[in-house]
Amino acid sequence: MKKLEELTYFDILEIPINASSFEIREAYQEALSIYSEDSLSTYAFFDGEERKRVLVKIEEAYSTLVDEKKRAEYERQLVREGKIDMSLVEDKGPRKPIPLFQVGESKSRDAFVNRIRHKVKAGDHDEERKKILDKEQLSGTDLKHLREAIGLTLEEVFEITRINVSILRSIEEDHHESLPAMIYLRSFIKSYAQVLELDPERTLQAYLKSIAPS
Amino acid sequence: MFYIYPIGGGKGGSGKSFITANLGVLFASLGKKVVLIDLDLGGSNLHTLLGLTNPSTGLHDFLNKKVGDLHDTVVETIVPNLSIISSVSCSMEIANLFYVQKLKIIKAIQRLQYDCILLDLGAGTNYNTLDFFLTSNEGLFVVTPEPTSIENTFRFIRAVYLRKLKHLLRQNDFSDVLRKLTSQSKNGVMGSPSEVIETVMKIDKSKGELLLDRLAQFELKFVLNQFRKHTDVKLGDKIERVCNKHFYSKFKFLDNISYDERVHDSIFSKEVYIMKYPYTPTAAALQNIVNKMASNGKDATLNRSVAL
Repeated sequence: MKKLEELTYFDILEIPINASSFEIREAYQEALSIYSEDSLSTYAFFDGEERKRVLVKIEEAYSTLVDEKKRAEYERQLVREGKIDMSLVEDKGPRKPIPLFQVGESKSRDAFVNRIRHKVKAGDHDEERKKILDKEQLSGTDLKHLREAIGLTLEEVFEITRINVSILRSIEEDHHESLPAMIYLRSFIKSYAQVLELDPERTLQAYLKSIAPS
Repeated sequence: MFYIYPIGGGKGGSGKSFITANLGVLFASLGKKVVLIDLDLGGSNLHTLLGLTNPSTGLHDFLNKKVGDLHDTVVETIVPNLSIISSVSCSMEIANLFYVQKLKIIKAIQRLQYDCILLDLGAGTNYNTLDFFLTSNEGLFVVTPEPTSIENTFRFIRAVYLRKLKHLLRQNDFSDVLRKLTSQSKNGVMGSPSEVIETVMKIDKSKGELLLDRLAQFELKFVLNQFRKHTDVKLGDKIERVCNKHFYSKFKFLDNISYDERVHDSIFSKEVYIMKYPYTPTAAALQNIVNKMASNGKDATLNRSVAL
């Protein structure tokens, strides 16, 4: 019989080194079903003492690998001992939630928001802004034109304001019947204006005039 | 392509002879020249399963030196390409074979010119059975899904290992290692295979690695026979995993052979089951096993030079 001490926690649970926590849980259940006292598959394979040692090792393996910190520490130890290759444990991919529409582009929301702000400031659109604010009434279409001139997508606006894309679209297309309740709409218009670097209060007043029933 | 497959498993009544006979018929139907050898000395049955009540010749003629060549003791069966060497007419004391006779049989088996040689072994772990098993680097275990059979199978594997280790120690000028081993052991009895390897490793690492390397050359397969409803369908896979993880060799689970009352009928009517009931789930499983064994044979290397 091979010696128990030579098996890594990954060997014991028979999982690959990059196994997910779901796989680890599954493998743990399976290992228990194989090595438990009343299991047919290992009947008389171990004497009582050996079986106990195997079960202890399975517990150790499970409790280490499901704990992210302990697992990272254990993997570093295996790398140091030369039992696994460094490349296997590096770059496990994203672990934090990332922006909904930016999968694979950026892992940090702050960096992302900054990039959009930068984009808005960079272009020379003050002329258009002035034109919009000078209007008596301001429609959603005006906001849309400005947004497109800056080069923002609706999704990017969503990432900053967290206003649902379909609501943004209703505002831009002037679908008055599908706009949200006034109390929400006011704050939405102000946030959207802020993103576009328009004066929020003035934008709101002009916008409200445009949708007021004549 | 050429194979010797010892068919063993430790426990009696698990279906070794039944499976030998049926696999033999299936291999022969693939157009291979097949010989089955009944090495359950003192408990020969294989001829009955094949419908032969009184084989005209057999192993006894070879041992009594009536014929000089083991090939002359082969008896044809009614199945084309399938023959048998029976041991039914051997003496009543054949179970206690002399060492020299055993060597003679093993060497003769290795010289036989057939595509496929299946050895039907007896139960237990006596030296005869173990040495016949070690004729080849491959082997098939017949296990039933019961604690008794599984227990005996694990025991059989360990006994095969220990026997193999002893042969290796004798062959490879390990006499100093061997002396130390026997001096350490209690009453001259060696410990478990892993203890032997551990001791050899301590004395001489390269020799220990040679032993491990030789054990790793074994390719052992097993089937679960008399598989009944409500048995864990993953049992075979689980055993395969346990063996691969804790033993030194390569293990492969082939299939579950479901329990069938008609096996009993076929034995009573002295017809081979697979020919009488070729379209049952049990027959399908046997066919599947043969397919797996035959396709694996391509890359299987056979050890024809096992010296004792």
